[in-house]
Amino acid sequence: MKTELFEEHKKLNAHIVDFHGWDMPLYYTSIITEHNYVRKAAGVFDVSHMGDIIISGKDSIDFLEHILPSNISGMETGTCMYTAFLNHDGNIIDDTIIYRINSNEFLTVPNASTTGKIYEWMMVNSKNYEVKINNVSDKYSCLALQGPLSESISEKLNIKFQKSFTFSGSLDTMIVSGTGYTGEKGIEIIIKNEEVISLWNKILYELKQINGGPCGLGARDTLRMEKGMLLSGQDFDNNRDPVECSISFIMSNKGDYIGKESIEKRNHTEIFRGFIVEDKGIPRHGNLLLDQNGNKIGLITSGTMSPTLGKGIALGFLNKNYGKSGSKVFISIREKNIPATVSRPKLVP
Amino acid sequence: MHEVPENLSYTKTHEWVKQEGNICIVGITDYAQSQLTDIVYVDLPKVGKKLKKGEVLLTVESVKSAEDVFSPIDGEVVEINKDLEDKPEVLNQKPYESWMAKIKTSGGILSLMKPEEYKKFIGE
Repeated sequence: MKTELFEEHKKLNAHIVDFHGWDMPLYYTSIITEHNYVRKAAGVFDVSHMGDIIISGKDSIDFLEHILPSNISGMETGTCMYTAFLNHDGNIIDDTIIYRINSNEFLTVPNASTTGKIYEWMMVNSKNYEVKINNVSDKYSCLALQGPLSESISEKLNIKFQKSFTFSGSLDTMIVSGTGYTGEKGIEIIIKNEEVISLWNKILYELKQINGGPCGLGARDTLRMEKGMLLSGQDFDNNRDPVECSISFIMSNKGDYIGKESIEKRNHTEIFRGFIVEDKGIPRHGNLLLDQNGNKIGLITSGTMSPTLGKGIALGFLNKNYGKSGSKVFISIREKNIPATVSRPKLVP
Repeated sequence: MHEVPENLSYTKTHEWVKQEGNICIVGITDYAQSQLTDIVYVDLPKVGKKLKKGEVLLTVESVKSAEDVFSPIDGEVVEINKDLEDKPEVLNQKPYESWMAKIKTSGGILSLMKPEEYKKFIGE
Protein backbone atom coordinates (compact mmCIF):
# COMPACT_ATOMS: atom_id res chain seq x y z
CA MET A 1 0.00 0.00 0.00
CA LYS A 2 1.03 3.58 -0.55
CA THR A 3 0.12 6.81 1.20
CA GLU A 4 -1.02 9.89 -0.75
CA LEU A 5 2.50 11.28 -0.35
CA PHE A 6 4.32 8.34 -1.95
CA GLU A 7 5.23 10.28 -5.12
CA GLU A 8 6.39 13.23 -3.01
CA HIS A 9 8.69 10.89 -1.07
CA LYS A 10 10.13 9.60 -4.31
CA LYS A 11 10.76 13.15 -5.52
CA LEU A 12 12.75 13.68 -2.32
CA ASN A 13 14.84 10.58 -3.10
CA ALA A 14 13.54 8.74 -0.07
CA HIS A 15 14.87 5.26 0.66
CA ILE A 16 11.61 3.32 0.66
CA VAL A 17 11.06 0.18 2.74
CA ASP A 18 8.16 -2.15 3.31
CA PHE A 19 6.58 -1.45 6.70
CA HIS A 20 3.74 -3.90 7.46
CA GLY A 21 2.64 -3.78 3.83
CA TRP A 22 3.16 -0.03 3.40
CA ASP A 23 5.85 1.46 1.18
CA MET A 24 7.24 4.06 3.56
CA PRO A 25 10.36 6.26 3.67
CA LEU A 26 13.05 4.88 5.99
CA TYR A 27 15.04 8.09 5.52
CA TYR A 28 15.50 10.90 2.99
CA THR A 29 19.04 12.01 3.85
CA SER A 30 20.20 10.00 6.85
CA ILE A 31 18.62 8.72 10.05
CA ILE A 32 20.97 10.70 12.31
CA THR A 33 20.43 13.95 10.37
CA GLU A 34 16.67 13.55 10.58
CA HIS A 35 16.86 12.57 14.25
CA ASN A 36 18.71 15.82 14.92
CA TYR A 37 16.17 17.89 12.96
CA VAL A 38 13.59 16.85 15.53
CA ARG A 39 15.77 17.22 18.64
CA LYS A 40 17.24 20.58 17.61
CA ALA A 41 14.82 22.26 15.15
CA ALA A 42 11.81 20.50 13.64
CA GLY A 43 10.89 17.75 11.25
CA VAL A 44 7.80 16.33 9.58
CA PHE A 45 6.77 12.69 9.25
CA ASP A 46 4.19 11.13 6.95
CA VAL A 47 2.25 8.87 9.31
CA SER A 48 -0.72 8.40 7.03
CA HIS A 49 -0.31 4.63 7.27
CA MET A 50 -1.79 4.80 10.76
CA GLY A 51 -5.47 4.01 11.14
CA ASP A 52 -8.49 6.23 11.85
CA ILE A 53 -11.57 4.61 13.36
CA ILE A 54 -14.62 6.60 14.49
CA ILE A 55 -16.82 5.32 17.32
CA SER A 56 -20.20 7.03 17.67
CA GLY A 57 -23.68 6.35 19.01
CA LYS A 58 -25.47 6.59 22.34
CA ASP A 59 -23.53 3.73 23.99
CA SER A 60 -20.10 4.83 22.81
CA ILE A 61 -18.79 5.62 26.32
CA ASP A 62 -20.08 2.36 27.82
CA PHE A 63 -18.64 0.44 24.90
CA LEU A 64 -15.23 2.14 25.11
CA GLU A 65 -15.09 1.57 28.87
CA HIS A 66 -15.79 -2.11 28.18
CA ILE A 67 -13.01 -2.42 25.62
CA LEU A 68 -10.39 0.03 27.03
CA PRO A 69 -8.71 0.12 30.48
CA SER A 70 -8.98 3.92 30.68
CA ASN A 71 -11.47 6.38 32.16
CA ILE A 72 -13.24 7.49 28.98
CA SER A 73 -16.25 9.17 30.62
CA GLY A 74 -13.86 11.53 32.41
CA MET A 75 -12.39 12.85 29.15
CA GLU A 76 -13.27 16.42 28.17
CA THR A 77 -14.34 17.06 24.59
CA GLY A 78 -11.26 18.33 22.71
CA THR A 79 -8.81 16.17 24.62
CA CYS A 80 -7.07 12.97 23.70
CA MET A 81 -5.49 10.19 25.68
CA TYR A 82 -2.91 7.42 25.35
CA THR A 83 -4.44 4.01 26.00
CA ALA A 84 -4.36 0.42 24.73
CA PHE A 85 -6.64 -2.34 23.52
CA LEU A 86 -6.29 -5.44 25.70
CA ASN A 87 -7.25 -9.03 24.96
CA HIS A 88 -9.00 -11.28 27.48
CA ASP A 89 -5.62 -12.28 28.95
CA GLY A 90 -4.97 -8.61 29.68
CA ASN A 91 -2.22 -8.44 27.07
CA ILE A 92 -1.90 -5.42 24.80
CA ILE A 93 -3.17 -5.95 21.25
CA ASP A 94 -2.23 -2.40 20.30
CA ASP A 95 -1.61 0.97 21.91
CA THR A 96 -3.44 4.00 20.57
CA ILE A 97 -4.50 7.61 21.01
CA ILE A 98 -8.22 8.20 21.54
CA TYR A 99 -9.83 11.58 20.84
CA ARG A 100 -13.12 12.79 22.31
CA ILE A 101 -14.76 14.66 19.42
CA ASN A 102 -18.04 15.35 21.21
CA SER A 103 -20.17 13.77 23.93
CA ASN A 104 -20.90 10.60 21.94
CA GLU A 105 -18.22 10.56 19.27
CA PHE A 106 -14.62 9.37 19.53
CA LEU A 107 -11.74 8.81 17.15
CA THR A 108 -9.03 6.23 17.69
CA VAL A 109 -5.73 6.04 15.83
CA PRO A 110 -4.35 2.48 15.91
CA ASN A 111 -1.00 1.44 14.44
CA ALA A 112 -0.80 0.65 10.74
CA SER A 113 -0.11 -3.04 11.27
CA THR A 114 -3.07 -3.56 13.61
CA THR A 115 -5.82 -1.29 12.26
CA GLY A 116 -7.68 -4.18 10.63
CA LYS A 117 -7.34 -6.32 13.73
CA ILE A 118 -8.53 -3.50 16.03
CA TYR A 119 -11.53 -2.81 13.79
CA GLU A 120 -12.51 -6.50 13.92
CA TRP A 121 -11.95 -6.58 17.69
CA MET A 122 -14.27 -3.61 18.17
CA MET A 123 -16.91 -5.10 15.89
CA VAL A 124 -16.87 -8.43 17.75
CA ASN A 125 -17.10 -6.78 21.16
CA SER A 126 -19.73 -4.16 20.33
CA LYS A 127 -22.68 -6.51 19.76
CA ASN A 128 -24.45 -5.52 22.98
CA TYR A 129 -23.94 -1.80 22.48
CA GLU A 130 -25.67 0.77 20.33
CA VAL A 131 -22.58 2.09 18.55
CA LYS A 132 -21.40 2.70 15.05
CA ILE A 133 -17.80 1.81 14.26
CA ASN A 134 -16.48 3.33 11.11
CA ASN A 135 -13.02 2.62 9.71
CA VAL A 136 -12.15 5.75 7.70
CA SER A 137 -8.41 5.05 7.48
CA ASP A 138 -8.32 5.21 3.69
CA LYS A 139 -9.89 8.69 3.56
CA TYR A 140 -7.44 10.50 5.83
CA SER A 141 -3.75 11.24 5.90
CA CYS A 142 -1.71 12.26 8.92
CA LEU A 143 1.39 14.43 9.31
CA ALA A 144 3.45 14.70 12.49
CA LEU A 145 5.27 18.02 12.87
CA GLN A 146 7.71 17.57 15.75
CA GLY A 147 10.53 19.45 17.41
CA PRO A 148 11.28 22.54 19.50
CA LEU A 149 10.54 24.86 16.55
CA SER A 150 7.30 23.14 15.53
CA GLU A 151 5.15 25.83 17.15
CA SER A 152 6.69 28.69 15.17
CA ILE A 153 6.22 26.69 11.97
CA SER A 154 2.58 25.95 12.66
CA GLU A 155 2.02 29.64 13.40
CA LYS A 156 3.52 30.60 10.05
CA LEU A 157 1.06 28.23 8.38
CA ASN A 158 -1.85 29.63 10.40
CA ILE A 159 -2.37 26.32 12.14
CA LYS A 160 -3.22 26.77 15.79
CA PHE A 161 -0.64 24.94 17.89
CA GLN A 162 -2.05 22.58 20.51
CA LYS A 163 -1.00 21.85 24.05
CA SER A 164 -0.13 18.28 24.93
CA PHE A 165 -3.12 15.91 24.63
CA THR A 166 -5.58 18.55 23.45
CA PHE A 167 -6.89 19.02 19.92
CA SER A 168 -9.00 21.31 17.80
CA GLY A 169 -10.91 20.98 14.55
CA SER A 170 -12.94 18.12 13.15
CA LEU A 171 -12.68 15.54 10.40
CA ASP A 172 -14.67 17.89 8.13
CA THR A 173 -11.73 20.31 8.16
CA MET A 174 -8.71 18.84 9.90
CA ILE A 175 -7.80 17.70 13.40
CA VAL A 176 -4.70 19.20 15.00
CA SER A 177 -3.59 17.52 18.21
CA GLY A 178 -0.75 18.01 20.67
CA THR A 179 0.56 14.48 20.19
CA GLY A 180 3.53 12.68 18.68
CA TYR A 181 5.99 9.84 19.03
CA THR A 182 9.28 11.66 19.47
CA GLY A 183 9.15 13.02 23.02
CA GLU A 184 9.46 16.56 21.63
CA LYS A 185 6.96 19.35 21.50
CA GLY A 186 4.80 18.92 18.41
CA ILE A 187 1.49 18.34 16.71
CA GLU A 188 -0.15 15.74 14.54
CA ILE A 189 -2.49 16.81 11.78
CA ILE A 190 -5.19 14.47 10.49
CA ILE A 191 -6.33 15.77 7.13
CA LYS A 192 -8.30 14.61 4.09
CA ASN A 193 -6.20 12.78 1.51
CA GLU A 194 -6.90 15.34 -1.20
CA GLU A 195 -5.46 18.16 0.92
CA VAL A 196 -2.34 16.54 2.31
CA ILE A 197 0.13 17.11 -0.54
CA SER A 198 -0.32 20.87 -0.42
CA LEU A 199 0.09 20.95 3.38
CA TRP A 200 3.15 18.68 3.21
CA ASN A 201 4.89 20.96 0.75
CA LYS A 202 4.06 24.10 2.75
CA ILE A 203 5.55 22.51 5.85
CA LEU A 204 8.65 21.41 3.93
CA TYR A 205 9.17 24.95 2.67
CA GLU A 206 9.07 26.34 6.22
CA LEU A 207 11.28 23.58 7.59
CA LYS A 208 13.94 24.37 5.03
CA GLN A 209 14.32 27.89 6.46
CA ILE A 210 15.18 26.56 9.94
CA ASN A 211 17.46 23.61 9.12
CA GLY A 212 14.74 21.05 9.48
CA GLY A 213 13.19 18.71 6.94
CA PRO A 214 11.26 15.54 6.22
CA CYS A 215 11.95 12.56 8.48
CA GLY A 216 11.51 8.85 7.85
CA LEU A 217 10.64 5.82 9.93
CA GLY A 218 14.30 5.32 10.89
CA ALA A 219 14.45 8.57 12.86
CA ARG A 220 10.97 7.94 14.20
CA ASP A 221 12.30 4.73 15.73
CA THR A 222 15.48 6.20 17.27
CA LEU A 223 13.53 9.20 18.61
CA ARG A 224 10.89 7.07 20.32
CA MET A 225 13.49 4.67 21.73
CA GLU A 226 15.44 7.48 23.39
CA LYS A 227 12.20 8.50 25.11
CA GLY A 228 11.28 4.96 26.16
CA MET A 229 8.10 4.78 24.10
CA LEU A 230 6.79 1.30 23.30
CA LEU A 231 6.52 0.11 19.71
CA SER A 232 3.53 -2.12 18.97
CA GLY A 233 4.54 -5.45 17.44
CA GLN A 234 8.14 -5.00 18.51
CA ASP A 235 8.26 -4.33 22.27
CA PHE A 236 4.96 -6.12 22.81
CA ASP A 237 3.04 -8.46 20.55
CA ASN A 238 -0.05 -9.81 22.34
CA ASN A 239 2.23 -11.07 25.13
CA ARG A 240 2.57 -8.21 27.64
CA ASP A 241 0.09 -6.37 29.84
CA PRO A 242 0.15 -2.66 30.83
CA VAL A 243 1.74 -3.40 34.23
CA GLU A 244 4.71 -5.19 32.67
CA CYS A 245 4.96 -2.46 30.04
CA SER A 246 5.29 0.19 32.78
CA ILE A 247 2.17 1.96 31.53
CA SER A 248 -0.20 1.00 34.35
CA PHE A 249 -1.25 4.69 34.43
CA ILE A 250 -3.56 3.90 31.50
CA MET A 251 -5.61 1.65 33.84
CA SER A 252 -7.75 4.53 35.14
CA ASN A 253 -11.05 2.80 34.37
CA LYS A 254 -12.74 1.83 37.69
CA GLY A 255 -15.30 -0.45 36.03
CA ASP A 256 -14.93 -3.87 34.46
CA TYR A 257 -13.10 -3.95 31.17
CA ILE A 258 -11.74 -6.69 28.97
CA GLY A 259 -8.56 -8.10 30.46
CA LYS A 260 -8.91 -6.50 33.92
CA GLU A 261 -9.48 -9.72 35.82
CA SER A 262 -6.53 -11.45 34.16
CA ILE A 263 -4.18 -8.58 34.99
CA GLU A 264 -5.28 -8.58 38.63
CA LYS A 265 -4.71 -12.31 38.93
CA ARG A 266 -1.32 -12.25 37.32
CA ASN A 267 1.95 -12.44 39.23
CA HIS A 268 4.12 -9.89 37.45
CA THR A 269 7.78 -10.88 37.44
CA GLU A 270 9.14 -8.66 34.67
CA ILE A 271 9.07 -4.94 34.02
CA PHE A 272 9.79 -2.69 31.02
CA ARG A 273 13.06 -0.82 31.45
CA GLY A 274 15.65 1.18 29.55
CA PHE A 275 19.32 0.27 29.30
CA ILE A 276 22.39 2.34 28.57
CA VAL A 277 25.36 0.38 27.27
CA GLU A 278 28.60 1.14 29.12
CA ASP A 279 30.95 -0.25 26.47
CA LYS A 280 31.10 -0.53 22.69
CA GLY A 281 28.27 -2.49 21.12
CA ILE A 282 24.70 -1.92 20.05
CA PRO A 283 21.91 -4.00 21.53
CA ARG A 284 19.20 -5.31 19.22
CA HIS A 285 15.76 -6.94 19.50
CA GLY A 286 16.20 -10.47 20.83
CA ASN A 287 19.46 -10.00 22.79
CA LEU A 288 19.39 -11.61 26.25
CA LEU A 289 19.80 -9.70 29.51
CA LEU A 290 22.12 -11.47 31.94
CA ASP A 291 23.23 -11.04 35.55
CA GLN A 292 26.92 -11.09 36.51
CA ASN A 293 26.87 -14.87 36.65
CA GLY A 294 25.46 -15.18 33.16
CA ASN A 295 21.93 -16.14 34.26
CA LYS A 296 19.12 -14.96 32.00
CA ILE A 297 17.19 -12.11 33.65
CA GLY A 298 15.36 -10.59 30.71
CA LEU A 299 15.12 -9.81 27.02
CA ILE A 300 15.88 -6.77 24.85
CA THR A 301 12.97 -5.79 22.58
CA SER A 302 14.40 -2.62 20.94
CA GLY A 303 17.92 -1.30 20.57
CA THR A 304 19.95 1.24 18.65
CA MET A 305 22.85 3.65 18.82
CA SER A 306 21.41 6.75 20.46
CA PRO A 307 22.28 9.74 18.27
CA THR A 308 21.78 12.02 21.29
CA LEU A 309 23.87 10.06 23.81
CA GLY A 310 26.37 8.58 21.34
CA LYS A 311 25.96 5.24 23.14
CA GLY A 312 24.10 2.02 22.58
CA ILE A 313 20.67 2.09 24.19
CA ALA A 314 17.94 -0.49 24.56
CA LEU A 315 14.47 -1.16 25.87
CA GLY A 316 13.35 -4.50 27.18
CA PHE A 317 11.78 -6.59 29.88
CA LEU A 318 13.78 -7.33 32.99
CA ASN A 319 13.24 -9.36 36.14
CA LYS A 320 11.74 -6.92 38.67
CA ASN A 321 14.48 -7.64 41.20
CA TYR A 322 16.99 -5.97 38.89
CA GLY A 323 14.66 -3.17 37.81
CA LYS A 324 16.03 -0.38 39.99
CA SER A 325 17.61 2.50 38.05
CA GLY A 326 21.38 2.27 38.27
CA SER A 327 21.49 -1.54 38.58
CA LYS A 328 24.26 -3.18 36.56
CA VAL A 329 23.34 -5.90 34.09
CA PHE A 330 24.86 -7.46 30.97
CA ILE A 331 23.51 -7.65 27.45
CA SER A 332 24.60 -10.60 25.35
CA ILE A 333 25.56 -9.24 21.93
CA ARG A 334 27.11 -11.74 19.49
CA GLU A 335 28.50 -13.93 22.30
CA LYS A 336 30.01 -10.99 24.18
CA ASN A 337 28.49 -9.88 27.48
CA ILE A 338 28.43 -6.08 27.37
CA PRO A 339 27.85 -4.18 30.65
CA ALA A 340 24.81 -1.91 30.79
CA THR A 341 23.05 0.26 33.36
CA VAL A 342 19.33 -0.06 34.04
CA SER A 343 17.31 3.12 33.64
CA ARG A 344 13.68 4.10 33.53
CA PRO A 345 12.48 3.64 29.94
CA LYS A 346 12.91 7.37 29.19
CA LEU A 347 16.65 7.35 28.47
CA VAL A 348 17.04 10.91 27.19
CA PRO A 349 15.55 13.62 29.42
CA MET B 1 25.63 6.01 -9.25
CA HIS B 2 28.05 4.40 -6.86
CA GLU B 3 31.78 4.50 -7.05
CA VAL B 4 33.39 1.22 -8.22
CA PRO B 5 37.20 1.64 -8.49
CA GLU B 6 38.95 -0.17 -11.35
CA ASN B 7 41.81 -1.59 -9.28
CA LEU B 8 39.69 -3.73 -6.92
CA SER B 9 37.70 -6.97 -7.01
CA TYR B 10 34.24 -7.43 -5.56
CA THR B 11 32.04 -10.02 -3.86
CA LYS B 12 28.31 -10.68 -4.13
CA THR B 13 28.02 -9.61 -0.48
CA HIS B 14 29.40 -6.15 -1.33
CA GLU B 15 32.92 -6.40 0.00
CA TRP B 16 35.81 -4.94 -1.99
CA VAL B 17 38.99 -6.97 -2.09
CA LYS B 18 42.56 -5.98 -2.89
CA GLN B 19 45.10 -8.75 -3.26
CA GLU B 20 48.75 -8.01 -2.43
CA GLY B 21 50.80 -11.20 -2.68
CA ASN B 22 49.33 -13.62 -0.15
CA ILE B 23 47.50 -10.84 1.74
CA CYS B 24 43.87 -9.94 1.04
CA ILE B 25 42.68 -6.49 2.12
CA VAL B 26 38.92 -6.27 2.71
CA GLY B 27 36.48 -3.40 3.00
CA ILE B 28 32.88 -2.64 2.04
CA THR B 29 31.80 -0.98 -1.18
CA ASP B 30 30.28 2.44 -1.72
CA TYR B 31 27.02 0.68 -2.58
CA ALA B 32 27.13 -1.25 0.73
CA GLN B 33 27.74 1.87 2.82
CA SER B 34 24.94 3.71 1.01
CA GLN B 35 22.51 0.89 1.81
CA LEU B 36 23.63 0.72 5.44
CA THR B 37 23.77 4.54 5.95
CA ASP B 38 25.05 6.09 9.20
CA ILE B 39 27.56 3.45 10.24
CA VAL B 40 28.02 3.79 13.98
CA TYR B 41 29.94 0.71 15.06
CA VAL B 42 32.33 -1.89 13.69
CA ASP B 43 32.80 -5.07 15.67
CA LEU B 44 36.30 -5.98 14.46
CA PRO B 45 37.70 -9.53 14.65
CA LYS B 46 40.75 -10.44 16.73
CA VAL B 47 44.09 -10.70 14.98
CA GLY B 48 44.77 -14.41 14.59
CA LYS B 49 41.15 -15.33 13.87
CA LYS B 50 41.07 -18.21 11.38
CA LEU B 51 38.38 -18.19 8.73
CA LYS B 52 37.00 -20.15 5.84
CA LYS B 53 35.85 -18.30 2.74
CA GLY B 54 32.28 -17.06 3.16
CA GLU B 55 32.43 -17.05 6.96
CA VAL B 56 31.61 -13.96 9.02
CA LEU B 57 34.71 -11.80 9.29
CA LEU B 58 33.17 -8.97 11.30
CA THR B 59 29.94 -7.07 11.86
CA VAL B 60 29.21 -3.51 10.87
CA GLU B 61 26.30 -1.68 12.42
CA SER B 62 24.24 1.27 11.31
CA VAL B 63 21.69 3.01 13.47
CA LYS B 64 19.09 0.68 12.04
CA SER B 65 20.70 -2.72 11.73
CA ALA B 66 23.71 -5.01 12.06
CA GLU B 67 25.18 -6.52 8.89
CA ASP B 68 27.87 -9.15 8.55
CA VAL B 69 30.98 -8.73 6.42
CA PHE B 70 32.26 -12.01 5.03
CA SER B 71 35.76 -13.28 4.40
CA PRO B 72 36.43 -13.80 0.67
CA ILE B 73 39.21 -16.30 1.38
CA ASP B 74 40.39 -19.11 3.61
CA GLY B 75 43.00 -17.62 5.90
CA GLU B 76 43.95 -15.83 9.08
CA VAL B 77 43.36 -12.22 10.14
CA VAL B 78 46.79 -10.59 10.38
CA GLU B 79 45.85 -6.94 10.84
CA ILE B 80 42.73 -4.90 11.64
CA ASN B 81 42.02 -1.22 11.10
CA LYS B 82 41.66 -0.08 14.70
CA ASP B 83 40.84 3.49 13.63
CA LEU B 84 37.37 2.25 12.71
CA GLU B 85 36.56 1.66 16.38
CA ASP B 86 36.58 5.39 17.08
CA LYS B 87 35.64 6.66 13.64
CA PRO B 88 33.25 4.18 12.03
CA GLU B 89 31.72 7.03 10.00
CA VAL B 90 34.76 7.05 7.67
CA LEU B 91 33.22 3.92 6.14
CA ASN B 92 30.40 6.15 4.88
CA GLN B 93 32.71 8.96 3.84
CA LYS B 94 35.58 7.04 2.22
CA PRO B 95 34.64 3.39 1.83
CA TYR B 96 37.61 2.55 -0.40
CA GLU B 97 40.20 4.20 1.82
CA SER B 98 38.78 2.54 4.91
CA TRP B 99 40.01 -1.02 4.85
CA MET B 100 38.71 -3.25 7.62
CA ALA B 101 40.95 -6.30 7.86
CA LYS B 102 43.96 -7.91 6.20
CA ILE B 103 43.77 -11.67 5.82
CA LYS B 104 46.69 -13.95 5.01
CA THR B 105 45.49 -16.54 2.56
CA SER B 106 45.90 -20.25 3.06
CA GLY B 107 44.38 -21.34 -0.24
CA GLY B 108 40.72 -21.12 -1.20
CA ILE B 109 39.13 -17.98 -2.54
CA LEU B 110 35.57 -17.03 -3.48
CA SER B 111 34.95 -16.21 -7.09
CA LEU B 112 35.32 -12.44 -7.28
CA MET B 113 33.78 -9.97 -9.69
CA LYS B 114 35.61 -7.48 -11.86
CA PRO B 115 34.49 -3.82 -11.56
CA GLU B 116 32.33 -4.07 -14.68
CA GLU B 117 30.60 -7.22 -13.40
CA TYR B 118 30.01 -5.66 -9.99
CA LYS B 119 28.47 -2.55 -11.59
CA LYS B 120 26.05 -4.82 -13.45
CA PHE B 121 25.42 -6.77 -10.24
CA ILE B 122 24.25 -3.62 -8.42
CA GLY B 123 22.22 -2.56 -11.44
CA GLU B 124 24.38 0.34 -12.61
